[in-house]
Amino acid sequence: MTAIDAAIRWHAGDFHLDVALGAGPGVTVLFGPSGSGKSLTLRAVAGLLTPSEGRIAVDGRVVFDSARGLDLPAHARGIGYAGQRPALFPHLSVGGNVAFGIRAGSRADRARTAAAWLARLELPGFEHRRPGSLSGGQAQRVALARALAPGHRVLLLDEPFSALDESLRQGLRQLLADLVQERELAIIFVTHDLREAHLLADQLVVIDRGRVLQAGPRDGVFRAPRHRRVAELLGGTNILAGRVVARAAASLTVSIDGWEAVAASWHGDPQPGDAVDIVIRPERVVIRRGEPAATNTLPARVRREFDYGTNHTLEFEPLGPGPSLLVDLPSRPYDVLGIAAKKDWVLELPPGDVHVMPAAPPFRATTQ
Amino acid sequence: MDILDPLRISLLIATAGTVACVAMGTPVAWAIARSRSSVAAVISGISLLPLVLPPTAVGYYLLWLLGRESPTGRFLLDDLGIQLVFTWPGAAIAAAVVSIPLYIRTAAAGFEQVDEEVLMSARTLVPPWRVFTFVVVPLAWPSLIAASLIAFARCLGEFGATVVVAASIPGKTRSLPAAIYDANLAGNETLAHQLSLAALAIGFVLVSLLTFVLQAAIRRDRP
Repeated sequence: MTAIDAAIRWHAGDFHLDVALGAGPGVTVLFGPSGSGKSLTLRAVAGLLTPSEGRIAVDGRVVFDSARGLDLPAHARGIGYAGQRPALFPHLSVGGNVAFGIRAGSRADRARTAAAWLARLELPGFEHRRPGSLSGGQAQRVALARALAPGHRVLLLDEPFSALDESLRQGLRQLLADLVQERELAIIFVTHDLREAHLLADQLVVIDRGRVLQAGPRDGVFRAPRHRRVAELLGGTNILAGRVVARAAASLTVSIDGWEAVAASWHGDPQPGDAVDIVIRPERVVIRRGEPAATNTLPARVRREFDYGTNHTLEFEPLGPGPSLLVDLPSRPYDVLGIAAKKDWVLELPPGDVHVMPAAPPFRATTQ
Repeated sequence: MDILDPLRISLLIATAGTVACVAMGTPVAWAIARSRSSVAAVISGISLLPLVLPPTAVGYYLLWLLGRESPTGRFLLDDLGIQLVFTWPGAAIAAAVVSIPLYIRTAAAGFEQVDEEVLMSARTLVPPWRVFTFVVVPLAWPSLIAASLIAFARCLGEFGATVVVAASIPGKTRSLPAAIYDANLAGNETLAHQLSLAALAIGFVLVSLLTFVLQAAIRRDRP
């Protein structure tokens, strides 16, 4: 059963939110830039924001329906929620925080349940601590325990790790992934961090300027964006303008700056002569030595390089006709290949990693 | 005339007036602090009116509202048998009306300090009344206590509106400020002095309590 099924319309000033969202078991990541409407969508589902129009169902139960005048309060929607900050109740103990939303059982039962959740979130014996004495990572784990303790199967998390150090984030992401498996949770996770989105998502929903641009299984959305803006948001830094030269049953031949490449992935119905955008993810490009092959190879030279510590981003310019390309390479292959000393290479682009989309103008940020 | 009767009546008026301020002012303060609606803005404006009107004008309107000339007054008198004009409960109502803007402003300032994200988390866990009782009130208590003390002090010192509504009947409605006024008018300087000293002593206790509450709040908020 779909855990969340929502159609939401809301506006304030010039900003219009108009999203349709479906989320099943596992982690559905709501990804988009700041101000795109991700948190508003989450709050509308949680019952913390009233849409002007729409319908929201949680686990098959309608909790909001503007047509019927139905608007269940947040606590009655059967949803756990944690925001960007832990926002613990400062006047209660850690145990009191976690037990706050538990409805069933005696006081002692609730305290036991809270203690069990704290133990599961790797905070055993923390019940009597005060929120002010916790570190950022501990406080966020208490916030997660508080959201989970009432026993809800659906959890809404609004950038819960954004204020934490990277090392703490990694531990919490793993903990979350374990909990999803263990408790069969359905989570909607809001983030604007691309790495976090890729790491956690089973399903990915890309949202921008109040609209869902694309939704589907993570790898499908990453590998095959529908149009330029999705590719831009998902870090597809090689977005090239080209034209379809030929179309076969399972491949397209496209021309990019006088260089021809074969693509095995496309969106829409591109026909020979059509202007298209081509996206090639920088981490999918293969670097090798030797002679260029007949298809999808491009002799190129390193023009600039950027060292990010764990990986290098190399900017290649073609030695003949063709586009300039950015290539991401982990540090170890960079050292082994000796790229610091040798600059001329052959770039190889597997046809499955060359994705063609209908042509669209480059995105220009507008004031919302 | 001694000082005990006016003191007793003043404390009665101030206590009842403060209870009325808390009961009626708390929901209004919450609405003003949390709602962005135009209705809340209108309520906010209306709640300030007693602060800018002369207390005697407030008393005049209340006298009309509670007296036999108005439908409410006739309803209270004829249907319910409740006489408020020239009684201490009438004086308490007048004192509450004059004091309530101070209560609302102070309480609303406290409510505005409550973290929005804390409230959102609470709302997903328990019904709104539990959020208010077990999250909002414990977090805003210093402001609510301060607001109550300020309202109590204002009720205690209220003269203009109460004297118009309840007059200054010895042993019945003559409060401390009215007694000071009457003693001064009668040339009884000794009594006026004793009554003023009593008012000063109460004021000193209230200011001490207020300082204690504010200090406690500062200590609590310090990380």
